[in-house]
Amino acid sequence: MAIGVERYGSRADTVAFVACLVVALVTLALPEAIRAPLAAAMRRSVLLPAVTIESRVAASRAEREAVRRLRAERDSFALAASQVPELVTENEELRALLRVRGRLVNGFVTAEVLHQAGLGDGLTLLLSAGRRAGIAPLAPVVSPTGLVGVVTTVDARSSVVMAWSHPDFRASAMTEKGTVFGIVAARRGERAGEVMEFRGVPYRDRLPAGTLVVTSGLGGVFPRGIPLGTIEGMLSEAEGWERTYLVRPAAHPAQVTHVLVLRPGVPSDSVAPAFLPPPAAESAAATRAFPADTI
Amino acid sequence: MRLGSPRLKLWAALVVLLAAQLVLRPWLATSPFAPDFLLVALLFFAMRSRPGAGAAAGFVVGLLSDAVAPTALGAGAFALTIIGYVAGWLKAVVFADNLLVTVVFVFAASWLRDFIELAASGTLRTGALGTQLVVLSPASAVGTAAASAIALLLFRGWLRSAPAS
Repeated sequence: MAIGVERYGSRADTVAFVACLVVALVTLALPEAIRAPLAAAMRRSVLLPAVTIESRVAASRAEREAVRRLRAERDSFALAASQVPELVTENEELRALLRVRGRLVNGFVTAEVLHQAGLGDGLTLLLSAGRRAGIAPLAPVVSPTGLVGVVTTVDARSSVVMAWSHPDFRASAMTEKGTVFGIVAARRGERAGEVMEFRGVPYRDRLPAGTLVVTSGLGGVFPRGIPLGTIEGMLSEAEGWERTYLVRPAAHPAQVTHVLVLRPGVPSDSVAPAFLPPPAAESAAATRAFPADTI
Repeated sequence: MRLGSPRLKLWAALVVLLAAQLVLRPWLATSPFAPDFLLVALLFFAMRSRPGAGAAAGFVVGLLSDAVAPTALGAGAFALTIIGYVAGWLKAVVFADNLLVTVVFVFAASWLRDFIELAASGTLRTGALGTQLVVLSPASAVGTAAASAIALLLFRGWLRSAPAS
């Protein structure tokens, strides 16, 4: 068919065009009471297949989106479930903290350890509580198992702790029975951050492995009786003068998530019983006392 | 109508576009670029028909579209009647099988359809009308024009010099 032939000026085309326009305008001018039933009638008749198909496609789309959403929720639950063991550990830690709290009664502030990604994490710790919570510089920081460190800097809502693993940390220490005194500091060089050194032990005193070392209370920073660790073995000795022992720490700063910050007014005689007897016996006693209080 | 005749091929292409409107468009409905396959089918038909047939087809398609979204029954029919007539008349001026002409005309027709329909129905006022005509309608027209280009490429063999009436 040649292009352009019989396209211009056809009266039939013009009539059809005008007629359609007029009908459209008349339809548009009809009152809503007539237009609505008219449209409904078309949807129920000639448009029914199209409406049905579109409805099913829309339903299919909605179902697919629902499946996608359910998968996302399932993945979220799976992720949450993977964290349950950590929550159990954290819960046990909190329970242990509460046990300490029960004995201390007051004189402490609870705080979360905000572990950082930096290399210094473990040497210094950032706590979630600060001056507003009553934390002051030089306050001892303890975990359920023993001494973690000492507060060095206090802000309004946070504070910084020098952990025992810090090279500058020192604590006056003694054996559990209070017969041997010395200074506990972080081990440098080999096994640094992993163990402590119990320095200045008089040459005449020998400490067997497993001996518990606690803070002595001398110097006024740390109350007496906070566990530092247990003797692992002798490291060195200055002939006729002193011995240095390796101490396995009671608390590992890089692993604690919740701590107690002791206030200056905490009664000294209430600190030692908060950690003693040893954790295993304490745990068994607590289980017997509260058999139903489990996760 | 013989099997394999140009007219039958044209109608087959139109049916495919109708199916795309029913099946594909609900998946794209939330996109501002969602193409109007029904408008593409109407234009393909009208550009291969007499102006009167194009106008009648536009009227029917518009009325049915209005029935599905009955905001102003008759406004779509009015708009598509004009579009169909113009598309039929266009065949006398340009080559309907030219890709560029088709894309440009589909874009213009889609935007013009929205303009006429909005003006006839009076459903939007000032700000909303401006947003629709300046932002949303061009976006939809782009999608429709792209769909027409794809359809023309896919059905080039079926649509070439195929008179609809």
